[in-house]
Order: sequence, then structure tokens, then C-alpha cells
Amino acid sequence: MKKLISVLALASFGLGLAAAAPADRTAELVAAQKARIEAAKAAPKAKTHVAFVSNGVADFWTIAKAGAIAAGRDLGCTVTVEFPGGGLSDQKRMLEDLVIKGIDGISVSPIDPTNQVEVLNLVAEKSILITNDSDAPKAPRLCYIGMDNYEAGLMCGKLAREGLPNGGEVAIFIGRLEQDNAKRRRQGFIDGLLGRTPDPTRYDEPATVVSEAGYTIVGTWTDSFDRAKAKANIEDVIIKHPKLALVTGLFEYNSTLAVEVLRQTGKQGKIQLAAFDEGADVIAGIKEGFVLGTVVQDPYGYGYESVRVLNALAKGDMSLVPESGVLNIPAKVIRKDNADAFWKDLKAKLKAGKDAK
Amino acid sequence: MKKALGIIGIFIAVFLLASLYGENFLTGINLMQLTQRTALYAIIALGAALVIVTGGIDLSIGSVVCLAGIMTPWLLVEHEWSPWAVVPTVLATSAAIGLFHGLLITRLRLQPFLVTLCGLLLYRGIARWMTGDQTQGFMGEHGELRKLATGRFEIPGVENFLLPATVIPAGILAIMLGIFYSRTVWGRWLLATGRNESAARYSGIPTAWLVTGSYVGCSLLAGFGGMLFIFDLSSAQPSDFGNFYELYAIAAAVLGGCSLRGGEISITGVVFGAATLQVLRNTITLVGLSSQIEFAVIGAVLLVGVAADEGVRRFMAKRLERSPAPSG
Repeated sequence: MKKLISVLALASFGLGLAAAAPADRTAELVAAQKARIEAAKAAPKAKTHVAFVSNGVADFWTIAKAGAIAAGRDLGCTVTVEFPGGGLSDQKRMLEDLVIKGIDGISVSPIDPTNQVEVLNLVAEKSILITNDSDAPKAPRLCYIGMDNYEAGLMCGKLAREGLPNGGEVAIFIGRLEQDNAKRRRQGFIDGLLGRTPDPTRYDEPATVVSEAGYTIVGTWTDSFDRAKAKANIEDVIIKHPKLALVTGLFEYNSTLAVEVLRQTGKQGKIQLAAFDEGADVIAGIKEGFVLGTVVQDPYGYGYESVRVLNALAKGDMSLVPESGVLNIPAKVIRKDNADAFWKDLKAKLKAGKDAK
Repeated sequence: MKKALGIIGIFIAVFLLASLYGENFLTGINLMQLTQRTALYAIIALGAALVIVTGGIDLSIGSVVCLAGIMTPWLLVEHEWSPWAVVPTVLATSAAIGLFHGLLITRLRLQPFLVTLCGLLLYRGIARWMTGDQTQGFMGEHGELRKLATGRFEIPGVENFLLPATVIPAGILAIMLGIFYSRTVWGRWLLATGRNESAARYSGIPTAWLVTGSYVGCSLLAGFGGMLFIFDLSSAQPSDFGNFYELYAIAAAVLGGCSLRGGEISITGVVFGAATLQVLRNTITLVGLSSQIEFAVIGAVLLVGVAADEGVRRFMAKRLERSPAPSG
């Protein structure tokens, strides 16, 4: 009997805890940040210290770093740039450390926003939180700087549709699907390819084969950032689906490896490629003519605008944040005609990012 | 060879299942790509076997793959070195890493696990710092040099199948190591060292030098493998290239009949171990299983295979015990 009572007591305690858990602090934390910004207006800091945190390590982020550092120089504020190389736990550690340091504001590309609520709340509680590249719409972020990944995916999908006007089999390769930008980008691609009316809330399960309007999306393959695995995925899918007409790599290295596999298997031109991001091999493939084109983001703009917005917020100025909370920096499509000019500009920015200390 | 029978059995079972259920599994191009992957992973797995036979372990293989792989295009493209200088430099660096491990383990008597775990962090860190975390690639150049991994040869009389170039170094290495362990006195000494280091040392075997040599061999093969991997992939990012490859290498070696306690090696087994892992991964895609379930399938198949192998072994041993002793 004693046992039963203690079990019941424990159970009710557990239930009580669950009920007492803070439901959603987003509104409260947004209000608190705004109040702090309002207060800062009275006595704005002479020199702010803001941080830019990526979701991993890539050339993309080196270019963003160049933008962030340039903004710091232009505006006279101190900028810390962090690249978490070890995934979720590494990013959490970096955010916590920055908060401890007493940073004035952080712009982060959250790896897994739904499961990072605590650390994002912590940033909002002690500092100012904005997001870049991949949004966390349910987190107490004051602003999102980046492109709409659904829109960018849509662009890539339309590019694929142009190359494949009569339909055919299509395969999607992407590093991982956990993060918000990956899901939206993939959905945009699918909707663009199939010529559906755009609807960002739609979601086609990755495990199902989508057959519509003459197109068949045979599947989506992930690789958790293991390049040898990513390459093997493309090779194996080409073998499994001999009628494959087009592939897309939705992360930078997926497209780069697709170019490599097409070259090695002699399938250039036989299997089309609608690419994403600005890998050197992808640009070379566009110039040679067997890559349809690539959708590129503006990481330099993400870095620059992140610092500009954070610096203003830390000084009590809300005017740079749009009403919607989204500062859109649109993607663009690179084709054969603008590939050269784009590449030169990119090299210059990459060099600036690398030299920035 | 006897030790390799188990893994060869598992390999044949997986291969048959893949031929039955995997679409286009038995096409020339698929077998060619599988041979290529097997050769690449077998090279680093053979390296892992070298240290496992001494009773040691090398957890830094993936990071050495990364450092050597990243250094290659970094020196070739960014610093415009000649390939004649780059290849020896990268291999010498890898060998030096192994020497460093070997000396720490045999002279300072540090634990191999600890030394190579620190190596795992150290070499990746160096690769990231050296390149400023930039992706390193060949930018469409050095096609001739990359043929070491991307080259394909026709086999006379065989159609629809080209032999990947990586098979040549992997094959030569496997044969040389096979001869080394079964036919040379140093090979025997190494096996004895792995079984019981103190006993071997008291018998006058230069165990310290042999163990050091094994670590040099392991890192050298990891570095060589890393170079071939990047020739095959064309570009890589220092923060993730080669992550967890030590586990694939160690798994292939142990599946192939190397005991983690040391003293046992089967070169044939290691090669089949590497091949089994690659065929399994390939099959998962060709059968159409989701890539999310990949690791679960690999883990389950290998466990069932290894358990069946052990079961058969015990059954045979019991039968031998029961059978009457030969008279005379």
C-alpha cells in the first residue's frame, strides 16, 4: 500500500511539474527585449559589441563573415564571428559563452530552432536575439535576416522545370532535413518543379514518391555532411533509376558533388542539374553549359545587415526592423550569361572574409 | 585465411541479398563504383589493422584523412606547389604523425587510446586553422594527378566494367601486408608482440620499434587514403571531411578477424570487411530504404552475421571435441 501511495504521489508530482512548466515565453521575452531597447535610447552606448553565429563551417559563412566585419568597420562597433564546427551542442556552447561575455546582441542561424528554445530564450533574456539564414519563427527573435528559403527553392524548382519542360524523373540530394531552411527549400523546389500554386505551408513527406504533372520525384537523400556518403548517394540513385532526367543538390556540396559524379560517369547533359549555392565546380559546369544554373544567396548581405541591425537595436533604434520582422535579402539565379561577373565578385568577398581577423 | 571465413560468409550473404533485391545491383557501373569505394576504405582499414594487431588502437585515422586530404589541394592550388613536391610532403607528414604517436606510446608509455584521441582533435584543428575553414578543392585543375583515384582501366575480355585505379595501390598493399605477416620474421614478431608484449620483449624482440613502425604504417595509410579520397571527391571541407572514418576502418578490421586484444590479423578479412560495409550501404539505397534507417540496418546485419559466425565456430569446436580421438 505504501508503495502505491508513493507511486501516486510521484505521478501527481510529475503532472504538477508538467502543468507548471512555462508554456510559451516568446511574447514576454520579445516585450522584455523591446523594453531594454527603449531604455537604451536614453543613454546609447558609444561602442556596441555584437556577434554573428553561423550554423556550421563553410565558404558561405566565410563570405558572411566578410560582410559582418565590413559592417563593424563602417559603423565602428566590435564584431565577434563564431562558426560552430561541432553541430548543435557546439552552437549552444558558443551562444551561452557569448551571453556570459555580456554581448549586446546576437544574430544566429539556429541549427534546430524547435529544440533550441531554451538557449534562444536565454539569449533573448540577457541580450538581443535576431536570426539569419535560417529562421526560428517561434523563438523570441526581433528580426530575421535572410532570404525566404521557400522562395529560393521555388526559383531552383522553376529552373529545373525550364530544363525539363516535358517532365521526367527527378532526385533531390540535401545534407540534412532537420533545419527549417532545408525543409522549406526542398518544398519550394518541389512546388516550383511541379508548377503548383506556391504555398509555403505545404509539406511532402521525404519518404514518399511524388508523381504529378508528368514529373516523378523519386526521393530525397540525406548524408549528414559526410561527403563520401553524399557522393555515393548520387552514384547509387543514378544506378537505381536509369531514367533519371534531373538531379538537384540543395546544399552547396551536394551540387558540387553532383557535378563531379556527372563528370565521372559521363552523364553531363544526359542528366541535368539544377544547382544551389556557388561551388567552384558548379560555376565551371554552368560556364561549360551542362549545369542549368544555380540559385545563390547573399551571405555577405546577411553578415552586413545582421551587424547593422544589431548595432542599431543595441543603441535603442528599432527603425531598421521591418513591421513583419523579416528583412528579406532575396536570392538570385546565376546562369551562363552572368556566371563570370558573379564569380569575380565572390572571390573578392571571400578573400576579404579570409583576411578579416 | 581461416579467420576471414566468417566475414567472407557475411559478405556473400549480403551480396546475394543485394543481387536479389537491389535494383541494378549487378550492373557493371555499380560494381565498378563499389570496387572503388571498397578500395578507398580498405586502405585506411588496413592501416587500422596494423595497430590493432599490436593490441593498440588509432582513433586519429579520420583526422589524418582530413589533414592529408585537405593539405593536398591546399598546397597544389593555393600555394601552387608542384605535384612532385606535394605527394611526398603529404605522405611524409602522415608518417611523421605516426612516428609521433608511436614514440609517445612506446617511449613515454602513454595509452594508445589517449594519444590518438588527442590526435583526433589536434589534426582536424590544424587542418581547420591552416585553411581558415575554407573548402579546399582542385578548381578543375590537376586532372592527371587525380587519375590516381578517378582513373579507370579496361580489362581485356570484360565488357561494361572498368577497373578503378584505386584497386592497384589497395591490391599491392594487401598483398605486401599479407606476405609481411605470414612470411617474414618481423610479421611473426609483431603477432607475438600483440599476443603478449612482455613475453615478446623478454625473448629479445624489439617490440618498441615494431609497435612504433605499426603506428607509422597506420598514419601513412590514413594519409594516403585521405589523398585518394580527395582526388575522388574533388573538394572537401576541413570541419567535416573524414569524420568518423576511424570507426569504419576499425569496424572493417575487426569484422575481418583482427582481435582488439591484439595478436591476430587477416588481410583478406579486412578487405572483405571494408567491402561488406560498402555493399550494405549501397544496397540500402538500391533497395529503396530510407537513408535514416541506414545505420540501424548496418548495425543489425553485422550483429546477426557476427553472432552466426561465432555460433557456427562453437558448434564445430564441440563436434571436434566429441569425435573420437584418432587411434594409433
